[in-house]
Amino acid sequence: MKVRIDPDVCQGHTLCNLAAPKVFSLREEDGHAYVADEDVPADQEELVRKAVLTCPEGAISIDEG
Amino acid sequence: MASDDRVVVDFDQHSPAYKAGFPQVSHELRSQCPATWSERHGGYWIITGRDLLGEMAKHPELFSNDHDPLGIRQGYGGVAIPSPVGGTTRGGFLEMDPPEQLEYRRVLNPFLSPAAVERWRPLVTELTKACLDDVVESGAIDFVDDLANVVPAVLTMGMLGLPLVDWVHYCEPAHAIVYTPPNSPAFAKVLEGNLAMVERLAEAMASMRTRPRAGMIKALVDARDDGADFDEGDILGTLVLLIGGGFDTTTALTSHALHWLDGRPVDRQQLLADPSLLDTAAEEFVRYATPAQGGGRTVTRDCEVGGFRFAEGERVWMAYALANHDPDAYAEPDEIVLERFPNRHAAFGLGVHRCIGSNLARMSFKTMLTEVLTRLPEYRCLEEGVVRYEDIGTINGYQHLPAVFPPQSRQGPPVVDVIDAWQERLEHDAPA
Repeated sequence: MKVRIDPDVCQGHTLCNLAAPKVFSLREEDGHAYVADEDVPADQEELVRKAVLTCPEGAISIDEG
Repeated sequence: MASDDRVVVDFDQHSPAYKAGFPQVSHELRSQCPATWSERHGGYWIITGRDLLGEMAKHPELFSNDHDPLGIRQGYGGVAIPSPVGGTTRGGFLEMDPPEQLEYRRVLNPFLSPAAVERWRPLVTELTKACLDDVVESGAIDFVDDLANVVPAVLTMGMLGLPLVDWVHYCEPAHAIVYTPPNSPAFAKVLEGNLAMVERLAEAMASMRTRPRAGMIKALVDARDDGADFDEGDILGTLVLLIGGGFDTTTALTSHALHWLDGRPVDRQQLLADPSLLDTAAEEFVRYATPAQGGGRTVTRDCEVGGFRFAEGERVWMAYALANHDPDAYAEPDEIVLERFPNRHAAFGLGVHRCIGSNLARMSFKTMLTEVLTRLPEYRCLEEGVVRYEDIGTINGYQHLPAVFPPQSRQGPPVVDVIDAWQERLEHDAPA
């Protein structure tokens, strides 16, 4: 699975970080989210799907590959 | 204005009927249409569908926050519906559009990111403990006056770079301007107090050049001196906005949660035992109560969004509070489900205007809630003394939330000492 955040849509709600803190990090300067590695470890896939559903802006997309 | 096929409803978020009917009123409107039209306040759209709201929030170029009371630009009415009568200034960057709005946020964001906010946790914790210590021997507390008004206010002072003890000068004016309806006899006096507060802020702003204190005021003033196109009046408007946003919303959220937890001992224990439950519960309380109920917009040009036609100049109320009860987005929307997650609530707003203090609000709220549940596990609210805001259409808040508990002995220093000690520390090393 690959995950991507659209930086123009993310507004820093931080809920993805709440869902999957190992995958989604928050920028020091404004709290907007980023992923250090777009390849999702197998044990994080379910949490990332939750993150997609909880993002208030719909900024996260996944490619189940 | 209503000339086409729009669904016209009798609606006013400032009315007693709204307060009495919240949140069920959400369903009465949405079952007719996710976008309805009220003829009150000169006419405005009410957006209650969660998906429609999300779509509209992605288009700040179509739905403007601009407030232009002097008619220099398009004369738009800003985020309050109705617009304040006789106003001459706009409410900081919340009443601006991008890119101007983003310039202010760029300066302030570094103070309010999760990482920056974390550095203030020790102050919030010590202050919360002191607020409780100041009342524990009496066995009685007003959660609003004795805790939820105090902590966010002192914290906001610190973040702005104002003397912490000054919170008392800002607290009552900042709350009263929100909970007093403009047509009430008390309003003139409230307005007077608010103007005195703005005056005080203007002086504080001027003093940053002669006696600089680290914080958000200095950052704004410095940015202006460094060439940012910040109008002096807009900086002042921004400070009023940060005070309003910093004080009233977290107070409201904390009050709602403590009131709901009255008579729910199992939930209290679970919240204390499980930090991850506290995380999801915080999002759920903010969704359910939605302290900042909505925001006004003005349509910038004739357009169609989500299948609805909007005409230039029309006013729109983005009803976050009502969209947060949309059953298409949340199962059992009128129930508080502490473990609800995912929870894509709109309580901090959506799009470029997302509440800039959301991380601060979460940290303050969770700290206050945890300390209360730890220290006063047996508190009981006194229903006859509970006073909610008369008008909840702007902020869904409480004026009073009294409670009793078995008296106990104090464990730490009083609020005044904590404030003094922290002031001393901030003079040397501000957290942000």
